[in-house]
Amino acid sequence: MKRRAFNVRHALVHAALIVLVAVVLYPVMLVCKKAFEPGHATSLGGSPLPEHVTTQHFRDLFGARGPHGELLFLRQAANSIIIALATTVVGVVISCTAAYALSRLRFPGRKAGLTTFLVVQMFPATLLMLPLYVILDKLGLLNSMVGLVLVYSTTAIPFCVWTLKGYFDSLPRELEEAARIDGASPWMIFRRIILPLARPGIAVTALFSFMTAWNEFIMASTFMTDESKYTLPVLIQSSVGQFSADWGLFAAGAVVTSIPVMVAFYVLQRSLVGGLTAGAVKG
Amino acid sequence: MSESSYTRVPVLGRQLRDFMFAGVLALVIASAAFVGVRNRELAARQIDLATRSADAVADGRDALPTVHAAIVSEPRISTKHSYLRRRTIREGGKTRVLGAEPHVADDKLFYDAANRAQQGATIAEMLPDGSGRALVAHKAPGGIAIAITAPAAPAPYPFLVFIGVLGLGASLVAAGALVGRNAQRLGTLAGIATLAVPTLLWQSWVAASLILALAFVVAAMQHIGVSDRFARGLVTHRVALSFLSPAAVAMSVLVAAPFVIGLLLGFYDHHQGTWTFVGLDNFTRILSGNGHSLDDPLNFWFILGVTVLWTVANIALHVTVGVSLALLLSRKWLRGKGIFRMLLILPWAIPNYITALMWKGMFQGQYGAVNSLLHAVGLGDVSWFGSWATAFSANVITNTWLGFPFMMVVALGALETIPKELYEAASVDGASAWQRFRHITLPHLRPALGPAVALGSIWTFNMFNVIFLVSGGKPGDSTNILVTDAYRWAFERGDRYGMAAAEGTIIFLILLLWTVFGTRVVRSKEPA
Repeated sequence: MKRRAFNVRHALVHAALIVLVAVVLYPVMLVCKKAFEPGHATSLGGSPLPEHVTTQHFRDLFGARGPHGELLFLRQAANSIIIALATTVVGVVISCTAAYALSRLRFPGRKAGLTTFLVVQMFPATLLMLPLYVILDKLGLLNSMVGLVLVYSTTAIPFCVWTLKGYFDSLPRELEEAARIDGASPWMIFRRIILPLARPGIAVTALFSFMTAWNEFIMASTFMTDESKYTLPVLIQSSVGQFSADWGLFAAGAVVTSIPVMVAFYVLQRSLVGGLTAGAVKG
Repeated sequence: MSESSYTRVPVLGRQLRDFMFAGVLALVIASAAFVGVRNRELAARQIDLATRSADAVADGRDALPTVHAAIVSEPRISTKHSYLRRRTIREGGKTRVLGAEPHVADDKLFYDAANRAQQGATIAEMLPDGSGRALVAHKAPGGIAIAITAPAAPAPYPFLVFIGVLGLGASLVAAGALVGRNAQRLGTLAGIATLAVPTLLWQSWVAASLILALAFVVAAMQHIGVSDRFARGLVTHRVALSFLSPAAVAMSVLVAAPFVIGLLLGFYDHHQGTWTFVGLDNFTRILSGNGHSLDDPLNFWFILGVTVLWTVANIALHVTVGVSLALLLSRKWLRGKGIFRMLLILPWAIPNYITALMWKGMFQGQYGAVNSLLHAVGLGDVSWFGSWATAFSANVITNTWLGFPFMMVVALGALETIPKELYEAASVDGASAWQRFRHITLPHLRPALGPAVALGSIWTFNMFNVIFLVSGGKPGDSTNILVTDAYRWAFERGDRYGMAAAEGTIIFLILLLWTVFGTRVVRSKEPA
């Protein structure tokens, strides 16, 4: 009976959350508004609701052509998608196997390996650029998507290995032991038992690998000399460059590039909570 | 007889096993030597061709047939546009304006080379486009003699040579094994040393001595039985090895190698394409402030102070905002929990360069969102990037908006693991809300938040995008953090890669110290 009554505290918490969400969402709404509002704004501001609606900026974005008449945006979107997906596959496959070995198998150098994966994250990525440039040049992988995929997946691997190792640690060992007694090989245990159980952890790792590649622009603009090989971040960043800022075009690009990641976050939001913390809680 | 041949088979197997192992290493060394030699040879040959052609056109003779060579005149002021300088080019007895219609493929290369050789220096180099063309330019009567060779591919990889020496080496090893005892070690030594022969022919002494040293080491390891133990270890841990090897290979080529190169570069000075070893000079210059006083934004200690302040402010805000929101979201009776959570995670899903640019747009000028809001509540305009405090705040606000969802998600996950019974028991015992938070919630949050804070502090310390894109260091470089300062050394202050690498090394050491000692402090607070 008491529960049905209007609870002031509950109402206050709801109201506070609504206000906080509004504050958090305001910049996002602003960008969406600019994407659909006509005219070339020089800054982002004003009411989050547009007065007039147009798809002009999207048409400009999709219709931009390079020096050889190719459709720049579609080309670079395709580059970004290919590179990000390839990075995800390479990064996840490599870190899954490594994380499994580090979580379940005991061998000399295991501790050192774990420490290495932690330590390499501390060297600022922008400073690995110059040596990486030289190495990619020697390997003939400069200005090639393969080179970028390799660089991105290795950047993503240390974090992925740590997250996955934590997740594997939290999985019960009884199933594996039963399988081992039944004569299953380590590879079979890995494929048939660990991988299916670790799906939420793997999904989160995949998302982070994808984001590493999807969001990076400094290496992409340094290693790729050919405009037709640029990725989306390079294009979007240059739309509000030093000399000409077109916030309408930027907003349209931002909306288009953010949507895939947002969808992935929406789909994976349950796993995100479990996948990230399973390992952290266990330490 | 049958018994002795029975015991010799494993010996042969062991010999070949050790040889294979050494052979792979030796081949890597030899291939690296080959690539170096091949590029050097190609450069020497092409530059020689170009030099002879440039000399020829300078003397009024014809260039070599495959070389594009010409005399480019001194610049003259254009008659049409007085601010333009134009050069003419004389090739094959004809003279035309360089760069005018009709365009000829190498015109831009000629023009740039002429500008560089104008000072009187001689240029002799490979073009940096990887085509294998060489460029030579020097002053000559009537202008500047310039020659560019035709593209050339370096010699192909000598598969046959390598297969040949591998076979020869293997048979030496096998012969040693069959003779037995001391001949075994001798066979190993000779077999591996055979692999050094091609490197001797290419006169790459470093590679040759490395391979010879390898031969001695492997023979010695065999002698004291280390190679056997090593091989047994590989067999015992073959599962772990096979699971780890993809990551190990990728990490060593694309993370460890650049990392080591990066560390080494810190001991060199880079000036206009040449590297000179300067020892600890870069480090002493950075740590002593490079001639800037302590309150100068270019002084290392000033930047370090900004960076630490930046990291502490951000982590404190991320944790406070993230944990508060997680506590609100974890109420059992909350309606629309999923929607609230999704909307609050949103900033994390937006690529961080977009977030940074978006906030930059909002802080900018009179019509930016932030100043519009200030107007609406009756406050005046703030020139956000005009003073240190406001520019720094703009950076921190942006990064807080972008970073709190991570802490929120981690805290949410940790809160889910707290057994409800604990709270019920505490309520029964009459614990206040604060006491329940202090003695139940907080201890359960700590083990999850500790690693998250450690990781988050590393990320924030190295957060390049926000600083670079939002304030860009304004006003006057004062809001730079260490990574953006290092970036400026590398790409905006005359390619001082050495200084950038040294600063990168210092950043790395700071973070290393922080994780070794700082996280110990975080951990020590954990309940036992």
